[in-house]
Amino acid sequence: MIRASDIRKTYGNRTVLDGVTFEADRKKITYIFGTSGGGKSTLLKILIGALKPDAGEVYFGDRDIAKLRAEELDEFRKKIGMLFQHGALLNSLSVGENIALPIREHTVLEDAIIKIMVKMKLELVGLRDFEDLLPVQLSGGMQKRVALARALALDPEVVFFDEPTSGLDPIVASVITKLIADLNRLLGITCIVVTHAVEEAMRIADKIIILYRGKVLAEGTPQQIRESKNPLVQQFITGNPDGPISFHASSKDFREDLLLG
Amino acid sequence: MKKTVGYLGRTFITFLQTLSSLYYLFRETVAQTIVLLTDSKKRKQARIWSQVDEIGTHSLPLVLTVAALLGIAITVLISFQLKGVGSFSYIPGFVAVAVFREIGPLITALIIAGRVGAAFTARIGTMKVTEEILALETMAINPVRFLVVQRFIGMMVALPALTILAGFTAVSSGFLFGSTRLGIGPDAYLRETVEALQLTDIYSGIVKAAVFAVVIVMIGCYRGLVVEGGAEEVGKATMLSVVSSSLAIITLDTLMTAAFYG
Repeated sequence: MIRASDIRKTYGNRTVLDGVTFEADRKKITYIFGTSGGGKSTLLKILIGALKPDAGEVYFGDRDIAKLRAEELDEFRKKIGMLFQHGALLNSLSVGENIALPIREHTVLEDAIIKIMVKMKLELVGLRDFEDLLPVQLSGGMQKRVALARALALDPEVVFFDEPTSGLDPIVASVITKLIADLNRLLGITCIVVTHAVEEAMRIADKIIILYRGKVLAEGTPQQIRESKNPLVQQFITGNPDGPISFHASSKDFREDLLLG
Repeated sequence: MKKTVGYLGRTFITFLQTLSSLYYLFRETVAQTIVLLTDSKKRKQARIWSQVDEIGTHSLPLVLTVAALLGIAITVLISFQLKGVGSFSYIPGFVAVAVFREIGPLITALIIAGRVGAAFTARIGTMKVTEEILALETMAINPVRFLVVQRFIGMMVALPALTILAGFTAVSSGFLFGSTRLGIGPDAYLRETVEALQLTDIYSGIVKAAVFAVVIVMIGCYRGLVVEGGAEEVGKATMLSVVSSSLAIITLDTLMTAAFYG
């Protein structure tokens, strides 16, 4: 369904993605995780065509996203949905108008039908009575659910999730995780989730990809990842502070730095 | 020395890059305006009148107050200069021409750049840092059409209208002051005003207002669209937006005055 091959991206002299290759299968849940600042969000932006990689290709079906013309990119984007880390709802529009926006933009449906569709999408995320409120009147978790309803507005084939559970309490986080699983099992939507929440990934993922220092460190089913002998992978899934992955991000030697300024 | 030259060179290149980006934004805005105006469904969604309302009606009290005060100030200034000569009959003509040709369009545009242009940058800049603009793009909604076009049309309607109203307000306040405090008869004042004022003066004011409208919308929206980072960058962009649009307005005003009357 989506195939990334040898993706590279550099900001200034910092290499964020250094040859990332993986495949996300149709109608499956693929989790991509890695450390904070490890290039996950950059990879996601490349996958949705918002950022061009310095090298490498991203195939959606048989088309390279980086090479699409503006109109073709728009066509591709009508087939995908994206849940942003902080929801990214338009604050000047009500909940209902936010969800109606892509439907109004890309269909010729009557207002009455759009209203029904909005109600259906909101019911899917359990917030049917909230369509007249503004996003700022909702809690963070609710905003994310509304954002998910908006991502689903055009019945996408693929939905991308950027840190869907970060900053949420455990119960709301579980609700969102369950929603992702339901979307996949009940509606057959391909889900690609970028996160650092290991537990949720282990619970519902069909495939897990671990990014480390801009490369794919490991790839496989939750079972395979759990049984991996690689100490780096083990540190990732156990969250052990002591291990081969250093807590220090600085490259300079501390002693040298102090003594020589 | 080397450093200064390097700095100036870099600043000049950045300036040229900004100009070219503004040109592309303007081109895209015009193209998207045509798309919007020819599509009745999209036109209905764009809420153009609410923009006209926001830019025009809401700025009206401020613009008219400033115009009324300036009308009096100019009248006082000119009367002071003409006191020695003793020819107060020139005052109405001077005031009317100065207001419609120069001061009306300039002051109105500067007020709107500060009040509305800054708000455009802050609003769009905040949307940029909260990923709302990326969200629009991901939904295959053109951000220029969604955010810039309605502001562009609103400003193209509101600013010339405000400029004309400001002109009439300033002339009226000058008239009130002149006829009550300077002893110029109301009939004579009106006659002198109408005689001195030509249609070209009003037209040139409208042309200036339209050019300033483009400048305010393009700079205001552009500065917002290119924000990267967080709250501090939005603040900086807003400040830069007001500074650069004010500077652009004054520069273009001088060039246009020179072109129209030089």
